[in-house]
Amino acid sequence: MTATRSSLTLLAALASLLVSEPAAAAPLAHREVLPNGIVLLVAERPAVPIVAVRVLMRAGAVYDPADRAGLANLTGAVLTRGTAKRTGPELDSAIEFVGGSLQAGAGRDGLTVSLTAQKKDMTLGLDLVSEVVLSPTLPDGEVTRKVAEIGAAIKRSDEDPGTVAARALGRLVFQGHPYGFPVEGTRESVARLTRDDVVNFYRGHARPDTTVIAVVGAVTVDEARREIMARFGSWVRPTASLPSVASATASASAREETVKRELTQTTIMFGRQAVLQTDPDYFPLAVASYVLGGGSASRLYTRVREESGLAYSVYSWFSPWRYGSSFAVSAQTRTAEAPKVVAMIREELARMGRELVGDRELALAKQYLIGSFPLRLDTSGKVADFLVAVEDRGLGLDYADRYKERIAKVTAADVQRVAVKYFPPTSFDLVIVGETK
Amino acid sequence: MRIAISLLLIVALLVPSGARGENRVVAATLDNGLRVLLLEDARSPIVSFQVWYRVGSRNELRGATGIAHFLEHLMFKGTPSHGPKQFARLVEENGGQDNAFTSQDVTSYYVNIAAEKLDLVIDLEADRMQNLLLDPKEITSEREVVIEERRTRTDDDPGGFLGEEVSSLAFKAHPYGAPIIGWMEDITRITPDEIRAFYKTYYVPNNALVVAVGAFRAADALEKIKRRFGRIPRGKVPPPVLALEPPQNGERRVIVKRQAELPIVYLAWHVPNQKSDDAPTLEVLSTILSGGRASRLYRDLVYQRQLALEAGGDYSYFSIDPNLFWFWATPMPGQTPEKLETELSAHMERLKTEPVTDEELARAKNQIEAAFVYQDDSIHQRASLLARFELIGGFALKESFMAKIRAVTAADLTRVARAWFAPDTKSVGVLVPKS
Repeated sequence: MTATRSSLTLLAALASLLVSEPAAAAPLAHREVLPNGIVLLVAERPAVPIVAVRVLMRAGAVYDPADRAGLANLTGAVLTRGTAKRTGPELDSAIEFVGGSLQAGAGRDGLTVSLTAQKKDMTLGLDLVSEVVLSPTLPDGEVTRKVAEIGAAIKRSDEDPGTVAARALGRLVFQGHPYGFPVEGTRESVARLTRDDVVNFYRGHARPDTTVIAVVGAVTVDEARREIMARFGSWVRPTASLPSVASATASASAREETVKRELTQTTIMFGRQAVLQTDPDYFPLAVASYVLGGGSASRLYTRVREESGLAYSVYSWFSPWRYGSSFAVSAQTRTAEAPKVVAMIREELARMGRELVGDRELALAKQYLIGSFPLRLDTSGKVADFLVAVEDRGLGLDYADRYKERIAKVTAADVQRVAVKYFPPTSFDLVIVGETK
Repeated sequence: MRIAISLLLIVALLVPSGARGENRVVAATLDNGLRVLLLEDARSPIVSFQVWYRVGSRNELRGATGIAHFLEHLMFKGTPSHGPKQFARLVEENGGQDNAFTSQDVTSYYVNIAAEKLDLVIDLEADRMQNLLLDPKEITSEREVVIEERRTRTDDDPGGFLGEEVSSLAFKAHPYGAPIIGWMEDITRITPDEIRAFYKTYYVPNNALVVAVGAFRAADALEKIKRRFGRIPRGKVPPPVLALEPPQNGERRVIVKRQAELPIVYLAWHVPNQKSDDAPTLEVLSTILSGGRASRLYRDLVYQRQLALEAGGDYSYFSIDPNLFWFWATPMPGQTPEKLETELSAHMERLKTEPVTDEELARAKNQIEAAFVYQDDSIHQRASLLARFELIGGFALKESFMAKIRAVTAADLTRVARAWFAPDTKSVGVLVPKS
């Protein structure tokens, strides 16, 4: 905390990172479906002697029962806390003794077990991953511990205005859909969760035929297949049908919510539902979002930050998931100027639909989205994250190439058309966190 | 006029065990004093190009804190040949990502971009090393942005707020006591003339380091860098930082009351930096205390006894001047910061009397070594690590670093804990949530 204080002068916290963007020429990975239904993805990166492994199971928060928000998150937290062969502390000691890392955690759609290890320790690392996935004991004492810890973490996060705003906005934008609940749940919902809930949830959702495994690094396809088959090959596909989730649908009316906090700044967050990555509108929307608030050449950055000095952080971003997506715009400004910044964001949203974007800003957005693609996949860990996400959302391993082609074809008229459809300021929910009168 | 350039070429093998030919660092010092490190890495068709200036908040004077960071913002505000906003536009238009950060010791700028765009980046960086506009109008509006940044990071963030209080308590004489972002009063006051003078003093080639890692031929890249940066005249040697922190003669304590959900406790001790033989031991000690879930603080305070939501420690090996060793903990609801302070101190005391186990020592060393291997996966990280070692005395120090870590013994840890963590030399910060 003393050392470097990264100033994020440019490209502020572009939260969307993964998946949203561009393309490469060669196939990203080898893909095959194992006999029990596991999809195995392997990308060879021989230069550095490490491996990154991701096991993505369709066991995210979207499957939480309505009265048990936070169950997937709790399950993820307890998964590495004991297996048939080792206690939680023994797992920690085993992987950390070789300088590796073994983590598990749930997101909205999936529950991911992640391994990073040196190549020489791959056998041990994969042993631990398979134990955690196939024979977790989910001990009662560990569930109790994590319930307390998560409850405290939720309490603490109430200090962070960005988190407070995002939670409130999620509830408004996805009202009536599981995406409307925070992944971590609420203090009340988490306090009610029991070991039985965790055991039943994991038993019901962890299954080979919805699991994606990516192995990336100093490993060959044959080696990866052999090692994964040896550990996961006998995982039996259940006969029970897959749980279904309804797609999110937007509500008709936009709402506003204010959360009072004693702070010097006000956090402003606009949001609404958008389109899936499989929707043809996704590509012009990605360009439109970049022009509006994507980088340090964007309209919002230029107007709110550079020309008016009203904010350090102002940006827009997509959050695409499997059953829905959201588009949001956020800024933090001194409290007295909050109404001005709210008005500016509304004006810029409206202007996207009213006027054609200029040639240079259109070209910039497209060239950035296409050209920066290799930069987003510059480590084995990032490649592994990308691979499992692309597979889980059914985008195909050629998604990167298609993305590039589709972005390249986007015209100013396309951008205006989707902006008319998705950027009317009155279609956005709005959350304000800060000092209010 | 073309300036003749004589080069001091040093070629060294960075990772002796690796058979990979791309691990050869090409090092050169141009006639104007600019230091250049180049490393070929053709795994992806990209390059990370970084310019590090040997200036940070440690070079600031009282009354002008935050000026190094303020200038970092203004480095994106244009030169006569690349107007305001053009830097970011050109980089993005070419599919690149760029950013910068200011620390206590350095100000660093990077562009990660397709390798074929290297010429563009060299041109932009050389231009703003010499020709920054520093237009008063831009300074006025950017000042407001920096103020908002301070609000976000410090004034509205309980942890950031408390950390600032403890730093300023721990350092009476050395500028490490001032926040990198600056005190609000100074950010508001600093004049364009002062910023111009600061730029002229510190942004000279003989105070800078260029590091590039990526898909280029080092000889070509060096030629391009010579051609473009070589024209910039050498500047005066920037003034040295003279302040030395006097020994601390008693515990110092600050209690902050503000709106927050949970308390926080920080402990900070003055410790030596990498120039000391004790530095590798402090690095290992930090890892034993807080490197992962098997580390002492996590296992005892977070896991076994559930006294803390988070607990950890941190040592700045690369600090240019002696700095602080930090401990922190966030008590679980129902626990008090006093209890956590006692527990953190007890861990420190235990290190003084009881040798660490062989397993703990081996684990810490393996973790530090593995972290080095992981860094090699990213060209950005590779470049940053080269720069970090170069700035403390030479990139080749990276080679001897692991040998020093491996040599640390349990007895060293006991000795170092006794030498540097006396109860009377700590500073304590406690954040008490206001009801």
